[in-house]
Amino acid sequence: MAKSDIKLKIPSAAFYIEPVRAFIGNLAQSLGFSRKRVADIQLVLDEICSNAVHHGSIDATVGVKLRIRIDTHSLEILVRDTGSRHTGEKSWLTPERLAEIEANRSPSSESGHGIFIAKSLADAYEIQSNAVDGTDVRVVFKLLKPNDLKL
Amino acid sequence: MDSTKLMKLREESGIKILEIKTDLSSYAASDLRKVLEDLLAEKVEKVVVNLSQVSHINSTAVGALVGVAKRLRQSGGDLKICALEENLTRTFNLIGASSVVEIYESENSALAAF
Repeated sequence: MAKSDIKLKIPSAAFYIEPVRAFIGNLAQSLGFSRKRVADIQLVLDEICSNAVHHGSIDATVGVKLRIRIDTHSLEILVRDTGSRHTGEKSWLTPERLAEIEANRSPSSESGHGIFIAKSLADAYEIQSNAVDGTDVRVVFKLLKPNDLKL
Repeated sequence: MDSTKLMKLREESGIKILEIKTDLSSYAASDLRKVLEDLLAEKVEKVVVNLSQVSHINSTAVGALVGVAKRLRQSGGDLKICALEENLTRTFNLIGASSVVEIYESENSALAAF
């Protein structure tokens, strides 16, 4: 399969994450990921989109961009937000802030698990500030792994 | 859409049973938090959350359950969870929340644990 990109833009509202989660689940299943990995991919997408919607956007109108890149060997998801730091919003998440949250995470924490989940479940994970003063989170799930046999 | 309509409350032997009939991604997780906080406001002490019809849960929803369980324990009550699918169990274990909230195989065993 040649490398292909699917680009989506959703309003920055939690309501729109669920249909995207359903879409990525169907796509991953079609690509041949195991049921367990499909669930992992859906969970990671939910977590990084939730961070982008709740902490990376001024309001619902700005939108969150997703680029889903597929090829023979992998499924890559890039989630790009526009940031909210210039509004004085204290909850915006920079790579530095996320590292701090992760360091303070514990099993009894009520929040702050999203990036830990993404890092734990994805085969590759990357977070960086982007050119529009927001945050890019990129995760990769490899298709052809010995432990990814279909159940 | 209001996902609280897919969260049914009933009572058995003084224990509130919350049955969730929707996947708990970001949107529904916020509604779950509201429902649980309403129970706290009503001074409910014992809660069982039945997740048998849930196939996905995110960390926001897990955090809401953990938070309410901790607050209920401070007043002598508790929140217990039951009937988790394999995917949900993996999420609870990954976060570590299974060491904070009591999880039971069935609703009856969760009720009996009070």
